[in-house]
Amino acid sequence: MKGAKILVDNNREEVILEFLKKGLDRTCFDAILIPLKVPSEDSFAYVLLKNPSLLDRASALPPVMPVQGAKALYSLTKQGKFKQKVAIVMRPCEIRAGIELYKLKQTELENIFLISIDCPGVLPLSDYIKDPEKGTDAFKETVVQWGSEFTRPVCKICTRFSMVASDLHIGLLGAEDRNIFLIPRSEKGENLLESLDISLENDMESWVTKVKELQEERKKKREQEHKGLKSKIEGPDKFLETFSKCINCHNCMRVCPICYCRECYFDSDAMKLYPENYLMRAKNKGGLRFPPDTLLFHLGRMSHMVFSCVSCGTCEDACPVSIPIAQVFALVADNAQELFHYVPGENIEEPHPLATYKEEEFRDIEMPYVETYTKKEMKDG
Amino acid sequence: MENGFEPKIIYFMCSWCGTGGAETASAHHLYYPENVRPFRVNCTGSLSTVHILRALMEGADGVVISGCHPGDCHYNDGNFLARRKIALTKSILDTLGLGTERIWFRYVAHGEGKRYVDTASEFSDYIKNLGPNPLKARNDL
Repeated sequence: MKGAKILVDNNREEVILEFLKKGLDRTCFDAILIPLKVPSEDSFAYVLLKNPSLLDRASALPPVMPVQGAKALYSLTKQGKFKQKVAIVMRPCEIRAGIELYKLKQTELENIFLISIDCPGVLPLSDYIKDPEKGTDAFKETVVQWGSEFTRPVCKICTRFSMVASDLHIGLLGAEDRNIFLIPRSEKGENLLESLDISLENDMESWVTKVKELQEERKKKREQEHKGLKSKIEGPDKFLETFSKCINCHNCMRVCPICYCRECYFDSDAMKLYPENYLMRAKNKGGLRFPPDTLLFHLGRMSHMVFSCVSCGTCEDACPVSIPIAQVFALVADNAQELFHYVPGENIEEPHPLATYKEEEFRDIEMPYVETYTKKEMKDG
Repeated sequence: MENGFEPKIIYFMCSWCGTGGAETASAHHLYYPENVRPFRVNCTGSLSTVHILRALMEGADGVVISGCHPGDCHYNDGNFLARRKIALTKSILDTLGLGTERIWFRYVAHGEGKRYVDTASEFSDYIKNLGPNPLKARNDL
Protein backbone atom coordinates (compact mmCIF):
# COMPACT_ATOMS: atom_id res chain seq x y z
CA MET A 1 0.00 0.00 0.00
CA LYS A 2 1.33 3.39 -0.98
CA GLY A 3 0.73 6.71 0.70
CA ALA A 4 2.26 10.07 1.37
CA LYS A 5 4.13 10.98 4.51
CA ILE A 6 3.62 14.61 5.47
CA LEU A 7 6.01 16.30 7.84
CA VAL A 8 4.51 18.08 10.83
CA ASP A 9 6.21 21.18 12.20
CA ASN A 10 4.08 21.98 15.15
CA ASN A 11 0.66 20.48 15.39
CA ARG A 12 -0.89 17.60 13.47
CA GLU A 13 -4.29 19.23 13.37
CA GLU A 14 -2.83 22.32 11.66
CA VAL A 15 -1.26 20.24 8.91
CA ILE A 16 -4.56 18.48 8.19
CA LEU A 17 -6.41 21.80 8.02
CA GLU A 18 -3.67 23.21 5.80
CA PHE A 19 -4.15 20.31 3.45
CA LEU A 20 -7.92 20.89 3.34
CA LYS A 21 -7.38 24.60 2.74
CA LYS A 22 -5.14 23.79 -0.19
CA GLY A 23 -7.89 21.58 -1.58
CA LEU A 24 -10.39 24.41 -1.30
CA ASP A 25 -8.01 26.95 -2.84
CA ARG A 26 -7.28 24.77 -5.83
CA THR A 27 -11.00 23.89 -6.10
CA CYS A 28 -10.36 20.17 -5.83
CA PHE A 29 -13.57 20.42 -3.86
CA ASP A 30 -15.97 23.35 -3.59
CA ALA A 31 -16.95 22.95 0.04
CA ILE A 32 -15.96 21.00 3.13
CA LEU A 33 -18.24 19.48 5.72
CA ILE A 34 -16.25 19.37 8.92
CA PRO A 35 -16.88 19.75 12.68
CA LEU A 36 -16.40 23.33 13.89
CA LYS A 37 -16.10 24.50 17.45
CA VAL A 38 -19.32 26.27 18.39
CA PRO A 39 -18.95 29.93 19.50
CA SER A 40 -19.58 29.04 23.15
CA GLU A 41 -16.58 26.67 22.86
CA ASP A 42 -18.22 23.79 24.68
CA SER A 43 -19.16 21.61 21.75
CA PHE A 44 -18.72 20.95 18.05
CA ALA A 45 -21.11 21.04 15.12
CA TYR A 46 -20.82 19.99 11.49
CA VAL A 47 -20.62 23.00 9.19
CA LEU A 48 -20.62 23.06 5.39
CA LEU A 49 -17.69 25.39 4.78
CA LYS A 50 -17.30 27.64 1.79
CA ASN A 51 -15.07 30.26 3.33
CA PRO A 52 -11.55 28.86 4.02
CA SER A 53 -10.98 31.31 6.87
CA LEU A 54 -13.57 29.41 8.90
CA LEU A 55 -11.22 26.44 8.90
CA ASP A 56 -9.40 28.03 11.84
CA ARG A 57 -12.18 26.86 14.11
CA ALA A 58 -12.47 23.44 12.49
CA SER A 59 -11.25 20.17 13.92
CA ALA A 60 -10.74 16.96 11.99
CA LEU A 61 -10.66 15.02 15.22
CA PRO A 62 -12.92 16.70 17.79
CA PRO A 63 -13.01 15.22 21.29
CA VAL A 64 -16.77 14.60 21.13
CA MET A 65 -19.36 13.41 18.62
CA PRO A 66 -22.50 15.47 19.28
CA VAL A 67 -23.97 14.68 15.85
CA GLN A 68 -23.13 11.53 13.95
CA GLY A 69 -21.48 12.61 10.69
CA ALA A 70 -23.62 10.24 8.64
CA LYS A 71 -26.65 12.10 9.91
CA ALA A 72 -25.15 15.33 8.51
CA LEU A 73 -24.33 13.60 5.22
CA TYR A 74 -27.89 12.28 5.09
CA SER A 75 -29.45 15.72 5.45
CA LEU A 76 -27.02 17.05 2.86
CA THR A 77 -27.85 14.62 0.08
CA LYS A 78 -31.33 13.33 0.89
CA GLN A 79 -32.87 15.17 -2.05
CA GLY A 80 -30.35 14.16 -4.69
CA LYS A 81 -26.70 14.28 -5.58
CA PHE A 82 -24.31 17.19 -5.54
CA LYS A 83 -23.28 18.89 -8.74
CA GLN A 84 -20.34 20.45 -6.94
CA LYS A 85 -17.66 18.51 -5.15
CA VAL A 86 -17.81 18.30 -1.38
CA ALA A 87 -15.20 16.86 0.97
CA ILE A 88 -16.48 15.37 4.19
CA VAL A 89 -14.17 14.75 7.12
CA MET A 90 -15.53 12.06 9.40
CA ARG A 91 -14.48 9.39 11.85
CA PRO A 92 -14.43 5.77 10.67
CA CYS A 93 -17.75 4.88 12.33
CA GLU A 94 -19.39 7.88 10.69
CA ILE A 95 -18.06 6.87 7.28
CA ARG A 96 -19.36 3.35 7.80
CA ALA A 97 -22.79 4.59 8.78
CA GLY A 98 -22.75 6.81 5.69
CA ILE A 99 -22.02 3.84 3.47
CA GLU A 100 -24.85 1.90 5.13
CA LEU A 101 -27.21 4.80 4.39
CA TYR A 102 -26.02 4.72 0.79
CA LYS A 103 -26.92 1.03 0.61
CA LEU A 104 -30.32 1.86 2.09
CA LYS A 105 -30.70 4.46 -0.67
CA GLN A 106 -30.76 7.42 1.70
CA THR A 107 -27.64 9.28 0.53
CA GLU A 108 -25.80 9.97 -2.68
CA LEU A 109 -22.04 9.63 -2.68
CA GLU A 110 -21.36 10.97 -6.16
CA ASN A 111 -19.09 14.04 -6.08
CA ILE A 112 -18.42 13.47 -2.42
CA PHE A 113 -14.96 12.85 -1.03
CA LEU A 114 -15.08 10.80 2.11
CA ILE A 115 -12.06 11.66 4.20
CA SER A 116 -11.56 9.45 7.23
CA ILE A 117 -9.11 9.71 10.09
CA ASP A 118 -7.71 7.27 12.63
CA CYS A 119 -9.86 7.62 15.71
CA PRO A 120 -8.73 7.06 19.31
CA GLY A 121 -12.33 7.26 20.58
CA VAL A 122 -14.41 10.16 21.87
CA LEU A 123 -15.41 11.42 25.29
CA PRO A 124 -18.97 11.14 26.58
CA LEU A 125 -20.80 14.25 25.45
CA SER A 126 -22.13 15.12 28.91
CA ASP A 127 -18.65 14.95 30.45
CA TYR A 128 -17.22 17.29 27.85
CA ILE A 129 -20.00 19.86 28.02
CA LYS A 130 -19.71 20.00 31.80
CA ASP A 131 -16.03 20.89 31.64
CA PRO A 132 -14.64 21.53 28.13
CA GLU A 133 -11.16 22.46 29.37
CA LYS A 134 -10.72 19.28 31.32
CA GLY A 135 -12.20 17.40 28.38
CA THR A 136 -9.69 18.88 25.96
CA ASP A 137 -6.82 17.78 28.19
CA ALA A 138 -8.31 14.34 28.62
CA PHE A 139 -8.65 14.00 24.88
CA LYS A 140 -5.05 15.05 24.31
CA GLU A 141 -3.99 12.27 26.63
CA THR A 142 -6.32 9.88 24.78
CA VAL A 143 -4.68 10.65 21.46
CA VAL A 144 -1.20 10.12 22.86
CA GLN A 145 -2.05 6.78 24.49
CA TRP A 146 -4.53 5.83 21.78
CA GLY A 147 -7.44 5.15 24.10
CA SER A 148 -7.94 6.03 27.73
CA GLU A 149 -10.34 5.57 30.60
CA PHE A 150 -12.03 8.86 29.64
CA THR A 151 -13.53 7.63 26.38
CA ARG A 152 -16.98 6.13 26.01
CA PRO A 153 -17.43 2.40 26.77
CA VAL A 154 -18.13 1.51 23.11
CA CYS A 155 -15.05 3.45 21.98
CA LYS A 156 -12.89 1.48 24.41
CA ILE A 157 -13.81 -1.76 22.64
CA CYS A 158 -13.98 -0.39 19.07
CA THR A 159 -12.09 -2.55 16.59
CA ARG A 160 -12.81 -0.54 13.45
CA PHE A 161 -11.08 2.73 14.28
CA SER A 162 -9.15 2.74 11.02
CA MET A 163 -9.04 1.23 7.51
CA VAL A 164 -12.53 2.11 6.30
CA ALA A 165 -13.92 2.32 2.79
CA SER A 166 -13.34 6.06 2.44
CA ASP A 167 -11.70 7.87 -0.46
CA LEU A 168 -8.81 9.27 1.49
CA HIS A 169 -7.56 8.26 4.90
CA ILE A 170 -5.55 10.37 7.28
CA GLY A 171 -3.30 8.00 9.19
CA LEU A 172 -2.03 8.96 12.62
CA LEU A 173 -1.08 5.52 13.87
CA GLY A 174 2.40 4.21 13.22
CA ALA A 175 3.59 7.70 12.30
CA GLU A 176 5.95 9.39 14.68
CA ASP A 177 4.83 12.61 16.28
CA ARG A 178 6.27 14.62 13.45
CA ASN A 179 4.35 12.90 10.69
CA ILE A 180 0.92 12.13 9.35
CA PHE A 181 0.04 9.76 6.53
CA LEU A 182 -2.26 10.50 3.62
CA ILE A 183 -3.48 7.20 2.25
CA PRO A 184 -5.71 7.03 -0.83
CA ARG A 185 -8.37 4.34 -0.45
CA SER A 186 -10.03 4.70 -3.84
CA GLU A 187 -9.40 6.07 -7.31
CA LYS A 188 -11.08 9.32 -6.29
CA GLY A 189 -8.60 9.69 -3.47
CA GLU A 190 -5.63 9.04 -5.73
CA ASN A 191 -6.81 11.68 -8.17
CA LEU A 192 -7.31 14.14 -5.36
CA LEU A 193 -3.75 13.69 -4.09
CA GLU A 194 -2.41 13.92 -7.63
CA SER A 195 -4.15 17.22 -8.28
CA LEU A 196 -2.68 18.55 -5.04
CA ASP A 197 0.82 17.53 -6.18
CA ILE A 198 1.23 15.03 -3.40
CA SER A 199 3.13 12.02 -4.63
CA LEU A 200 2.59 8.56 -3.22
CA GLU A 201 6.09 7.42 -2.61
CA ASN A 202 6.07 6.20 0.95
CA ASP A 203 5.34 2.72 2.05
CA MET A 204 2.53 2.47 4.60
CA GLU A 205 3.95 -0.62 6.26
CA SER A 206 4.27 0.95 9.72
CA TRP A 207 0.67 2.20 9.63
CA VAL A 208 -0.70 -1.20 8.59
CA THR A 209 1.25 -3.11 11.25
CA LYS A 210 0.29 -0.70 14.00
CA VAL A 211 -3.40 -0.75 13.06
CA LYS A 212 -3.50 -4.56 12.82
CA GLU A 213 -1.72 -4.90 16.14
CA LEU A 214 -4.14 -2.57 17.90
CA GLN A 215 -7.10 -4.24 16.26
CA GLU A 216 -6.06 -7.64 17.62
CA GLU A 217 -5.70 -6.15 21.06
CA ARG A 218 -9.12 -4.50 20.91
CA LYS A 219 -10.78 -7.63 19.53
CA LYS A 220 -9.73 -9.55 22.62
CA LYS A 221 -10.93 -6.75 24.84
CA ARG A 222 -14.25 -6.58 23.00
CA GLU A 223 -14.84 -10.29 23.44
CA GLN A 224 -14.11 -10.03 27.12
CA GLU A 225 -16.30 -6.97 27.66
CA HIS A 226 -19.16 -8.55 25.75
CA LYS A 227 -18.96 -11.67 27.87
CA GLY A 228 -19.23 -9.53 30.98
CA LEU A 229 -22.10 -7.49 29.59
CA LYS A 230 -23.97 -10.59 28.49
CA SER A 231 -23.90 -12.03 31.99
CA LYS A 232 -25.28 -8.71 33.24
CA ILE A 233 -28.24 -8.43 30.87
CA GLU A 234 -29.13 -11.99 29.92
CA GLY A 235 -32.58 -13.32 30.70
CA PRO A 236 -35.96 -11.56 31.05
CA ASP A 237 -35.34 -10.34 34.62
CA LYS A 238 -31.94 -8.77 34.08
CA PHE A 239 -32.79 -7.45 30.64
CA LEU A 240 -35.95 -5.73 31.83
CA GLU A 241 -34.04 -4.31 34.77
CA THR A 242 -31.53 -2.74 32.36
CA PHE A 243 -34.24 -1.06 30.32
CA SER A 244 -36.70 -0.29 33.11
CA LYS A 245 -35.23 3.20 33.53
CA CYS A 246 -36.26 4.16 29.99
CA ILE A 247 -38.40 7.31 29.89
CA ASN A 248 -39.58 6.66 26.33
CA CYS A 249 -38.07 9.87 24.92
CA HIS A 250 -36.88 8.04 21.78
CA ASN A 251 -33.70 10.15 21.74
CA CYS A 252 -31.66 7.06 20.84
CA MET A 253 -33.71 6.67 17.67
CA ARG A 254 -33.59 10.34 16.75
CA VAL A 255 -29.81 10.60 16.91
CA CYS A 256 -29.15 7.21 15.33
CA PRO A 257 -27.73 7.69 11.82
CA ILE A 258 -29.33 4.47 10.61
CA CYS A 259 -32.84 5.33 11.86
CA TYR A 260 -33.76 7.31 8.77
CA CYS A 261 -37.52 6.62 8.59
CA ARG A 262 -39.56 9.76 8.17
CA GLU A 263 -41.96 8.45 10.77
CA CYS A 264 -40.75 5.84 13.18
CA TYR A 265 -43.12 2.87 13.35
CA PHE A 266 -43.12 3.23 17.13
CA ASP A 267 -44.29 6.85 16.90
CA SER A 268 -46.93 6.01 14.33
CA ASP A 269 -50.64 5.48 14.71
CA ALA A 270 -50.08 1.74 14.41
CA MET A 271 -48.93 1.85 18.03
CA LYS A 272 -51.85 3.92 19.27
CA LEU A 273 -54.77 1.76 20.25
CA TYR A 274 -58.26 2.06 21.66
CA PRO A 275 -58.55 2.42 25.43
CA GLU A 276 -60.26 -0.98 25.63
CA ASN A 277 -57.15 -2.59 24.20
CA TYR A 278 -55.02 -1.24 27.03
CA LEU A 279 -57.59 -2.29 29.57
CA MET A 280 -57.59 -5.81 28.16
CA ARG A 281 -53.80 -5.97 28.25
CA ALA A 282 -53.77 -4.62 31.79
CA LYS A 283 -56.24 -7.33 32.74
CA ASN A 284 -54.09 -10.07 31.20
CA LYS A 285 -50.89 -8.83 32.79
CA GLY A 286 -52.33 -7.50 36.03
CA GLY A 287 -51.06 -4.04 35.07
CA LEU A 288 -49.62 -2.19 32.11
CA ARG A 289 -46.72 0.23 32.05
CA PHE A 290 -47.41 3.63 30.45
CA PRO A 291 -46.48 4.92 27.92
CA PRO A 292 -46.86 1.36 26.64
CA ASP A 293 -44.53 -0.68 24.42
CA THR A 294 -41.31 0.77 25.85
CA LEU A 295 -39.40 -2.47 25.52
CA LEU A 296 -41.01 -3.29 22.19
CA PHE A 297 -39.58 -0.01 20.91
CA HIS A 298 -36.06 -1.03 21.82
CA LEU A 299 -36.32 -4.60 20.59
CA GLY A 300 -38.18 -3.54 17.46
CA ARG A 301 -35.71 -0.80 16.64
CA MET A 302 -32.93 -3.28 17.25
CA SER A 303 -34.45 -5.70 14.74
CA HIS A 304 -34.84 -2.90 12.21
CA MET A 305 -31.34 -1.46 12.24
CA VAL A 306 -29.07 -4.01 13.87
CA PHE A 307 -27.42 -5.15 10.61
CA SER A 308 -26.29 -1.59 9.94
CA CYS A 309 -25.33 -0.76 13.54
CA VAL A 310 -21.75 0.48 13.50
CA SER A 311 -21.65 0.88 17.31
CA CYS A 312 -20.86 4.56 17.11
CA GLY A 313 -22.35 5.13 20.57
CA THR A 314 -24.38 8.23 19.70
CA CYS A 315 -27.50 6.65 21.24
CA GLU A 316 -25.77 6.25 24.57
CA ASP A 317 -24.61 9.87 24.50
CA ALA A 318 -28.19 10.97 23.95
CA CYS A 319 -29.77 8.81 26.65
CA PRO A 320 -30.82 11.03 29.56
CA VAL A 321 -31.10 8.13 32.00
CA SER A 322 -27.77 6.44 31.18
CA ILE A 323 -28.99 3.12 29.87
CA PRO A 324 -25.95 1.29 28.38
CA ILE A 325 -27.89 1.12 25.14
CA ALA A 326 -24.97 1.36 22.71
CA GLN A 327 -23.19 -1.46 24.50
CA VAL A 328 -26.27 -3.68 24.35
CA PHE A 329 -26.78 -2.87 20.68
CA ALA A 330 -23.11 -3.54 19.94
CA LEU A 331 -23.38 -6.95 21.56
CA VAL A 332 -26.56 -7.88 19.69
CA ALA A 333 -25.22 -6.44 16.43
CA ASP A 334 -21.98 -8.39 16.67
CA ASN A 335 -23.84 -11.68 16.98
CA ALA A 336 -26.41 -10.92 14.27
CA GLN A 337 -23.81 -9.60 11.84
CA GLU A 338 -21.58 -12.58 12.43
CA LEU A 339 -24.49 -14.92 11.74
CA PHE A 340 -25.06 -13.23 8.38
CA HIS A 341 -21.32 -12.79 7.66
CA TYR A 342 -21.91 -9.09 7.25
CA VAL A 343 -19.77 -6.14 8.30
CA PRO A 344 -21.66 -2.84 8.00
CA GLY A 345 -19.97 -0.18 5.93
CA GLU A 346 -17.07 -2.37 4.92
CA ASN A 347 -17.89 -2.96 1.29
CA ILE A 348 -20.10 -0.61 -0.67
CA GLU A 349 -20.87 -3.32 -3.26
CA GLU A 350 -22.11 -5.86 -0.75
CA PRO A 351 -25.93 -5.83 -0.49
CA HIS A 352 -27.74 -5.29 2.82
CA PRO A 353 -28.60 -8.65 4.43
CA LEU A 354 -32.34 -8.08 4.19
CA ALA A 355 -32.11 -7.14 0.51
CA THR A 356 -30.65 -10.46 -0.54
CA TYR A 357 -30.82 -14.18 0.26
CA LYS A 358 -29.32 -17.53 -0.63
CA GLU A 359 -31.41 -20.58 -1.30
CA GLU A 360 -29.30 -22.83 0.86
CA GLU A 361 -28.94 -21.12 4.22
CA PHE A 362 -30.48 -21.15 7.68
CA ARG A 363 -31.91 -24.61 7.13
CA ASP A 364 -31.83 -25.01 10.91
CA ILE A 365 -34.60 -22.38 11.19
CA GLU A 366 -37.00 -24.59 9.26
CA MET A 367 -38.77 -27.04 11.55
CA PRO A 368 -38.58 -30.55 10.09
CA TYR A 369 -42.01 -32.06 9.53
CA VAL A 370 -42.81 -35.26 11.36
CA GLU A 371 -45.22 -36.94 9.01
CA THR A 372 -46.62 -39.30 11.61
CA TYR A 373 -47.58 -36.59 14.06
CA THR A 374 -51.20 -36.92 14.98
CA LYS A 375 -52.54 -36.16 18.37
CA LYS A 376 -54.22 -39.00 20.18
CA GLU A 377 -57.52 -37.23 20.68
CA MET A 378 -57.48 -36.12 17.05
CA LYS A 379 -57.20 -39.74 15.97
CA ASP A 380 -60.20 -40.66 18.12
CA GLY A 381 -62.16 -37.61 17.11
CA MET B 1 -55.39 -30.68 29.69
CA GLU B 2 -52.98 -32.39 32.07
CA ASN B 3 -51.23 -29.33 33.51
CA GLY B 4 -54.26 -27.09 33.12
CA PHE B 5 -52.37 -24.72 30.87
CA GLU B 6 -54.05 -23.68 27.66
CA PRO B 7 -51.50 -21.85 25.51
CA LYS B 8 -52.32 -18.95 23.25
CA ILE B 9 -50.74 -19.48 19.87
CA ILE B 10 -50.48 -17.09 16.96
CA TYR B 11 -50.21 -18.78 13.58
CA PHE B 12 -48.96 -16.35 10.91
CA MET B 13 -49.49 -17.72 7.43
CA CYS B 14 -49.15 -16.28 3.99
CA SER B 15 -52.25 -15.72 1.93
CA TRP B 16 -51.13 -18.04 -0.87
CA CYS B 17 -49.80 -21.27 0.63
CA GLY B 18 -50.31 -21.21 4.40
CA THR B 19 -53.89 -20.02 4.19
CA GLY B 20 -54.45 -22.42 1.30
CA GLY B 21 -53.29 -25.23 3.55
CA ALA B 22 -55.89 -24.19 6.12
CA GLU B 23 -58.57 -24.17 3.42
CA THR B 24 -57.61 -27.64 2.28
CA ALA B 25 -57.72 -28.78 5.89
CA SER B 26 -61.26 -27.47 6.25
CA ALA B 27 -62.33 -29.10 2.99
CA HIS B 28 -61.09 -32.41 4.39
CA HIS B 29 -62.76 -31.77 7.79
CA LEU B 30 -59.45 -31.93 9.63
CA TYR B 31 -59.31 -30.39 13.10
CA TYR B 32 -56.71 -28.31 14.86
CA PRO B 33 -56.65 -27.03 18.48
CA GLU B 34 -58.91 -24.07 19.23
CA ASN B 35 -56.15 -22.16 21.00
CA VAL B 36 -54.32 -21.66 17.71
CA ARG B 37 -55.27 -18.30 16.25
CA PRO B 38 -54.68 -18.15 12.51
CA PHE B 39 -53.47 -14.79 11.27
CA ARG B 40 -53.25 -14.14 7.57
CA VAL B 41 -50.47 -11.97 6.15
CA ASN B 42 -49.99 -11.26 2.49
CA CYS B 43 -46.60 -12.91 2.36
CA THR B 44 -44.37 -14.18 5.16
CA GLY B 45 -41.72 -11.89 3.69
CA SER B 46 -43.93 -8.92 4.56
CA LEU B 47 -44.19 -10.01 8.17
CA SER B 48 -42.16 -7.62 10.29
CA THR B 49 -39.98 -8.80 13.11
CA VAL B 50 -41.95 -6.38 15.28
CA HIS B 51 -45.14 -8.42 14.82
CA ILE B 52 -43.44 -11.52 16.13
CA LEU B 53 -41.91 -9.68 19.08
CA ARG B 54 -45.15 -7.88 19.86
CA ALA B 55 -47.12 -11.13 19.86
CA LEU B 56 -44.66 -12.68 22.30
CA MET B 57 -44.72 -9.67 24.62
CA GLU B 58 -48.43 -9.04 24.62
CA GLY B 59 -49.93 -12.42 25.35
CA ALA B 60 -48.88 -15.19 22.97
CA ASP B 61 -47.13 -18.26 24.30
CA GLY B 62 -45.78 -19.17 20.91
CA VAL B 63 -45.63 -17.95 17.33
CA VAL B 64 -45.59 -20.21 14.31
CA ILE B 65 -45.05 -18.96 10.78
CA SER B 66 -45.93 -20.82 7.58
CA GLY B 67 -45.14 -19.75 4.07
CA CYS B 68 -44.73 -21.39 0.68
CA HIS B 69 -42.09 -24.04 0.06
CA PRO B 70 -38.79 -22.75 -1.36
CA GLY B 71 -39.31 -21.79 -4.98
CA ASP B 72 -43.10 -21.59 -4.65
CA CYS B 73 -43.42 -18.04 -3.33
CA HIS B 74 -46.00 -15.95 -5.16
CA TYR B 75 -43.58 -13.05 -4.97
CA ASN B 76 -40.52 -15.16 -5.89
CA ASP B 77 -38.40 -14.68 -2.78
CA GLY B 78 -40.68 -13.69 0.12
CA ASN B 79 -40.23 -16.97 1.98
CA PHE B 80 -36.44 -16.77 1.76
CA LEU B 81 -36.51 -13.24 3.14
CA ALA B 82 -38.87 -14.39 5.88
CA ARG B 83 -36.39 -17.10 6.82
CA ARG B 84 -33.70 -14.44 7.11
CA LYS B 85 -35.91 -12.23 9.27
CA ILE B 86 -36.78 -15.10 11.58
CA ALA B 87 -33.10 -16.01 11.83
CA LEU B 88 -32.45 -12.38 12.83
CA THR B 89 -35.25 -12.34 15.41
CA LYS B 90 -33.98 -15.58 16.91
CA SER B 91 -30.44 -14.23 16.99
CA ILE B 92 -31.55 -11.13 18.91
CA LEU B 93 -33.64 -13.11 21.38
CA ASP B 94 -30.81 -15.60 21.82
CA THR B 95 -28.23 -12.90 22.61
CA LEU B 96 -30.52 -11.31 25.17
CA GLY B 97 -31.47 -14.66 26.70
CA LEU B 98 -35.20 -14.14 26.03
CA GLY B 99 -35.66 -17.60 24.50
CA THR B 100 -35.83 -18.56 20.84
CA GLU B 101 -37.79 -21.77 21.27
CA ARG B 102 -41.22 -20.14 21.03
CA ILE B 103 -40.85 -19.30 17.35
CA TRP B 104 -41.38 -21.95 14.70
CA PHE B 105 -41.06 -21.69 10.95
CA ARG B 106 -42.40 -24.43 8.69
CA TYR B 107 -43.37 -24.42 5.04
CA VAL B 108 -46.95 -25.45 4.26
CA ALA B 109 -48.17 -25.68 0.68
CA HIS B 110 -51.70 -24.98 -0.51
CA GLY B 111 -52.60 -28.65 -0.81
CA GLU B 112 -51.01 -29.74 2.47
CA GLY B 113 -54.02 -29.59 4.76
CA LYS B 114 -52.75 -32.37 6.96
CA ARG B 115 -49.38 -30.73 7.32
CA TYR B 116 -51.10 -27.53 8.43
CA VAL B 117 -53.21 -29.33 11.03
CA ASP B 118 -50.25 -31.37 12.24
CA THR B 119 -48.10 -28.27 12.63
CA ALA B 120 -50.82 -26.51 14.62
CA SER B 121 -51.35 -29.40 17.01
CA GLU B 122 -47.68 -30.35 17.28
CA PHE B 123 -46.71 -26.77 18.13
CA SER B 124 -49.59 -26.46 20.57
CA ASP B 125 -48.49 -29.60 22.41
CA TYR B 126 -44.88 -28.45 22.34
CA ILE B 127 -45.75 -25.09 23.92
CA LYS B 128 -47.98 -26.82 26.44
CA ASN B 129 -44.92 -28.76 27.57
CA LEU B 130 -42.78 -25.63 27.69
CA GLY B 131 -45.27 -23.81 29.91
CA PRO B 132 -46.44 -20.19 29.80
CA ASN B 133 -44.29 -17.53 28.17
CA PRO B 134 -42.62 -15.53 30.96
CA LEU B 135 -42.61 -12.30 28.93
CA LYS B 136 -46.38 -12.10 28.48
CA ALA B 137 -47.00 -11.92 32.21
CA ARG B 138 -44.62 -8.99 32.78
CA ASN B 139 -46.30 -5.65 33.35
CA ASP B 140 -43.02 -3.71 33.25
CA LEU B 141 -42.29 -4.14 29.56
